[in-house]
Amino acid sequence: MTAMTARVARAPARRVWLAGPARLLRLELRRNPMPWTLPLLAVLFWVSTYRPAMSNPPLWNVRGSMLQAQTMLTFAPVLAGVAAWAGSREGRRGTTDLVTITGLPRWAGRLAAWAAVTFWAEVAYLAGVAVVYGITAHQATWGGPLWWPVAVGAATGAAACAVGFAAGSLAPSRFTAPLAAVTVFLALGAGAFALQHGARATYSQIWPLNVQGAFPKDSFGIFYPFPPDLSIAQLMFAGGLGAAALGAVGLPAVAGGRWLRAAAAAVTIAGLAAAGTAVGLAGTARLEAHGIVIPALHDAASDRPVRYTPVCSGAGIPVCLQPAYRAYLPEVTTAVGPLLHELAGLPGAPTRVIQVAVTSVQEGPSNGIEFGPPVISGTPPVLYLPLSGLTLPGEGATPAGFAGAIQDNLLPMLNAFAGLRAEPGSGVTPRPSGSGATAQLAVAMALAQDAGLLTRIPPGTPVAGTAGSVGQSAGSLPPAARAQAAVANRFAALPAATRHAWLLTHLAALRAGHITPAGIP
Amino acid sequence: MKAAGAGASGQRHRVLPAGLRLVRLHLASRRVVTCLLILAACAVVLRVALHWLPRTGTLSRQIPLTIEAATAAAIGVTARSPFGDPERATGRWLPFLRLATVLALAGAAVGALAAAATSAHLASGSLGLLRDVGGFTGIALLTSAVLGGGLAWIGPVAYLGVSVAALAGRWTTPWAWPARPPQDRGAAICAAAVFVAGVAVVVARGARGAAAE
Repeated sequence: MTAMTARVARAPARRVWLAGPARLLRLELRRNPMPWTLPLLAVLFWVSTYRPAMSNPPLWNVRGSMLQAQTMLTFAPVLAGVAAWAGSREGRRGTTDLVTITGLPRWAGRLAAWAAVTFWAEVAYLAGVAVVYGITAHQATWGGPLWWPVAVGAATGAAACAVGFAAGSLAPSRFTAPLAAVTVFLALGAGAFALQHGARATYSQIWPLNVQGAFPKDSFGIFYPFPPDLSIAQLMFAGGLGAAALGAVGLPAVAGGRWLRAAAAAVTIAGLAAAGTAVGLAGTARLEAHGIVIPALHDAASDRPVRYTPVCSGAGIPVCLQPAYRAYLPEVTTAVGPLLHELAGLPGAPTRVIQVAVTSVQEGPSNGIEFGPPVISGTPPVLYLPLSGLTLPGEGATPAGFAGAIQDNLLPMLNAFAGLRAEPGSGVTPRPSGSGATAQLAVAMALAQDAGLLTRIPPGTPVAGTAGSVGQSAGSLPPAARAQAAVANRFAALPAATRHAWLLTHLAALRAGHITPAGIP
Repeated sequence: MKAAGAGASGQRHRVLPAGLRLVRLHLASRRVVTCLLILAACAVVLRVALHWLPRTGTLSRQIPLTIEAATAAAIGVTARSPFGDPERATGRWLPFLRLATVLALAGAAVGALAAAATSAHLASGSLGLLRDVGGFTGIALLTSAVLGGGLAWIGPVAYLGVSVAALAGRWTTPWAWPARPPQDRGAAICAAAVFVAGVAVVVARGARGAAAE
């Protein structure tokens, strides 16, 4: 009977122990400044994310990246400021002594206030995510939402709340909230600066607004899964920073007993260690063809290509695109069609055009990136056409401008088709030396003109993508360049059938460098 | 007669220290010294940033704008009064004190930042600095009148977010003045109008009561 009574008595005690913090959290959720800032956050989201996202093509990677970068650039400072305001409440109201003597340890009470602020912040952020992804689901022709950028955005928001809350809690003043907000803004700006101009830019890849480094937003997560390596490191960094800040809130003597403060110190140290480890991991990041790879976090599964059924143009040599780019098939077909027609039937001419993510990637200065041009390879020959990094119609380019950019990218491939060797990685063809190379360049220029890739050939102007004397007037050109232009103009002026017949019989010799400019009709 | 003359002289002597004391207490109640320290710190940060920042590009505008917004937020926060209605009811010099405080702090902010930008390249130039600090300060003062002095920073920080989007999107509306060139007359008029409106509202009514925060 006594034991039974004890059991009955213990059960409500446990409920009461759990009910206290829950009730406190409920109170904090109701009496919190963050709900009052929700309209402001909605306006900021509309300005910073929704409008730009909707004016961009409905590609999941483009819009997902915006939800991490653009949204958090405007949200994080406001969240930090409001959290600092909430954190400084007891200091501002002069109620610190009053609440210190309550049964609940102050650290727990403070954490409940932070949790309430963060809850409302995440509600605002996730509502924005739902709107953008919901609309994208209706507009996109292929794929699904990217969740890693959203996770990093949510973690960054929580970390901003934690840092702001800790600042407000530890140094309550009327200036704390604005300083917290502006400091977060400056920190985000400094991160961007370090990424672009830092001597060791790899460490600064951890910057929470960074989505796959210098890769353009439309160049990852389509042909291969979104590489989560950098996102995992960023989650570690944001989580560690937030934990360290929240641990610091529990360090003052009023926060609780000795054991509680020891636990807070342990949380702070663990958080700092996690953030430092994340920065260290980011330091090992390297640029690969499909995104940023951190060896210690890399999963080989993300190197397997995503399966899809390409969409192809019907007539002539098929042009096949990834279904996410279905809307751009007419422009791409228009851009490559004349060249395919010009090359059709020649040895090594492409029998198919397939869109690829990239052909080659090279790291550029200031966190830059350089993509290789389209290439012809394989048996039967296939033209591998990357569209990454091009400004798509809807991103600011007109359909004609988009087609023109594709044609510009095709020129180095045309040089290679004629036998000129490009510099490895850059796609730039060096200025030809020797009569064989001069003949190759003259033929490439003539083919480019006939395919409509070059509207005219100024004397001495090499095909775009070759190093040389673009812009020089004919009078200032060396005699060799003038002679080269004359050969190209002469060959381009031939009837198409005559030109095609000559190429059929002489292309192998031209590529081998055995044809001189005088040998071109 | 002699006694009366002595009394007038003594009253004059008492009025002058009383006036100074009033000013000193007003400045102390607004934490003006702390605000001045923050303005000085902002100038130092701007000087350091300009040493490293590129001369063109988004960052060359975004970082100085952030610092300008910080100065405006600090000025807005000083509008907060810890006394509320008793001060409103008894302080007949209050509007003049508010006006002098706001103008002096805004002037100090522009002066400090302009001094920091001397011999460095500020992408918006001195004219742009004056326009942006004025506009941000106006927003901060209007926010303090609506939400309270303690929350005055929300306005400039939120407008900073809008400005960053405007810079990236190359907005042309003069209401997004930080995204416009320094010589843009419409942008300057908008910023000046916001500054005047903010000063007028705060001088006339003061920041919203602290109890409302």
